[in-house]
Formats: sequence, C-alpha cells, structure tokens
Amino acid sequence: MATGILAAEIAIYAVPPVTLLLGILIGYLAQRSGFCSIGGFRDYFLFRHTRLLSGYLALIVFSFLGYLLFWILTPAAMEHFFWAFEGDPSSPVPGAPAGLAPAAYLLFSVVPGFLVGLICVLLGGCPIRQTVMASEGNRKSAFFLLGMCVGSPVFAAFVSRWIVLLMKTLGLGA
Amino acid sequence: MVPCKPTDTIRHTLSPLVRHPAFLGAVIGVLAAFSQALLISAGGPEAYGFCVACHTRDLVNGLSNILAGTNLALAPISKNAVLPVMSVVGVLIGAYLSARVNREHKSKEGSPRDYFAYFLGGFLVLELAMIFGGCPYRAALRTGYGDIFALLFIVTMALGVIAGTVLAQKRAEKEDA
Repeated sequence: MATGILAAEIAIYAVPPVTLLLGILIGYLAQRSGFCSIGGFRDYFLFRHTRLLSGYLALIVFSFLGYLLFWILTPAAMEHFFWAFEGDPSSPVPGAPAGLAPAAYLLFSVVPGFLVGLICVLLGGCPIRQTVMASEGNRKSAFFLLGMCVGSPVFAAFVSRWIVLLMKTLGLGA
Repeated sequence: MVPCKPTDTIRHTLSPLVRHPAFLGAVIGVLAAFSQALLISAGGPEAYGFCVACHTRDLVNGLSNILAGTNLALAPISKNAVLPVMSVVGVLIGAYLSARVNREHKSKEGSPRDYFAYFLGGFLVLELAMIFGGCPYRAALRTGYGDIFALLFIVTMALGVIAGTVLAQKRAEKEDA
C-alpha cells in the first residue's frame, strides 16, 4: 500500500476539499483556454492548428515530469512509477478489473479509445469541454453530463459484470 | 493599452499564459502528481489525480452509497474518504465563475433530439471510459505514469477523431448537395 505525505486518518478528510480546489482551478483555466483533448486532435487534422493539441501534449509530458518529481521527493507515494519498467507492462495500472488476459486489456484500450474519439468529436468536445460548456450555459452539454451521471450506477451494476463475462466467453480470462 | 497599475502589468503578462491550453495541461499534470503524493494514503488507484469520467462515477456512486445505502463500485480513494472526490464539482464551479467574471456565460438551447443525442453520448462515453479505466485525461496521466495501454487508448482515440471528422464532413457535403 502506497503512503502519501498525509497520514491515512488525515487524508480521508483532505480528499474532498483538495480535489474540489483542484477542480475549481482546472475549471477556471479550462474555461479561459477552451482546453479539449478531442478538439486538439480535430483541429490538427482539419486545419493543422496546434494550439489545443499543445494542451493535451503538455498534459502528457508534464504528468510524466510531475510524477517523476514526486517519485524522487516522495517515492512511497509513487509505488508503481514507472509502470512499464516497474510492473508487468502487459497489465494496466492497478484499478482495472483483475483476472483477465493481456489481450482483453488490449481490447479495453483500443475499442473504447476509438469509440470515445468518434462520439466526442461528433458531439463537439471531450468530457472536460462538455463540463465547461455546461457551466457556460450550454444545455446540450448539461444533458451530456446527465448521461454520464446515469451511466455511472449502470456501469457499476451491470456493464462491468457483462464485460468481464464477455471476455471470459471469448476465452480471454486469466 | 498601456499598463499603469502594477496589477495591470501582472494581468498583462499573465493573461496569454492563463489563456493558453498548454499552461493548463502543465498545471493538471503537475497537480495530479502532487495530489497523489498528498492523498494516496487514503487509497488508490495510482495516476488518478484527475479524470472527468472516473471522478463523476465516484461522485455519483459514492453519494448514492451514502444517501441511499446502495453498494455501487467506486475507486478506493473515494470509498475510504469521508466524501468522494469532488473534482467534477470543482470544474463546474470554476468554469461557471470564469464564464461569469469574463462575461462569457450564455444560455444555449437545443432541440429535444439534440438533448437525447447528448444524453446518449454522455452515457456511452462513460461506459466506454470505465471499460478502459479513464477518460482522455486519465489516459494522459496513465501514459505519463508508464502505462502502455493508455498510450494505445490515446492513439486509437486520435484515429476515432479522424474517422468522426471525415464522417461529419461527408454528412455536411451530402446536405450541401
């Protein structure tokens, strides 16, 4: 079990306020900049505009640098950094449904990746952009958020089980 | 405009930075790592500092578990903490404040068909993101954390965007003809 700067007894109280403040800062800057991962790829493909794409690429690069920095400062909190070297590269970062073959995780990355890109570009924005647009008063995006909220218990109750069952039927159990 | 007050100078210098997506990308990346360093004792998973889809799931399922006594799955960090992660609420508040302060708040309505399409889109995106284990943002964090599957997700997402763009263009051409 990884250990962070705050002890577990304090951290359980710190989670809501810290994530709330983080969210407010991200939301403010996202509204200012029009930050969007899907829009980044779309603008580059259509017009060779790199402004939005630079945001998403910066996120990848700086998350690596950030994790590297805190891996040096607080190694106990970054238990499995850098996953491709530390862990088994044929399994995803802990948190995914366990007990499936590597091919199942491959499918879990490739199929949702393609479909998320397809759906989001047709609706004009990735999840964060939809959240920001909903806050700006766009009612269509508010319905996108509503769909995500309804989808959450449905995934937990049904889809998560079905998908594991499907993988086992395909012979992709561990 | 010539800046005359010190605050104007600060605003003058900061504004292009604050408005640049790359600045936000860097902010999310570093702060996600910082929040993991700070909070990971409360529970995993790793590379979970910011994710719109997962944090929505945690919020909805967590509140439902607290208020309605259900037992819906959510990430350990949200399960162990007194309340689930609040980042999505934060994004809504932050973006609302920014839209108000900068006078960009504008009500936009759509047809019932639009609402249904967006609702269905949100629903599907959440299911798909949960199957992968993250939205495009957590995919970026996981890639930075060294997860090859997340990198694959990003590559295929880019392909999906290209397919969607071509599809939308074809549809627009058909409507023009």
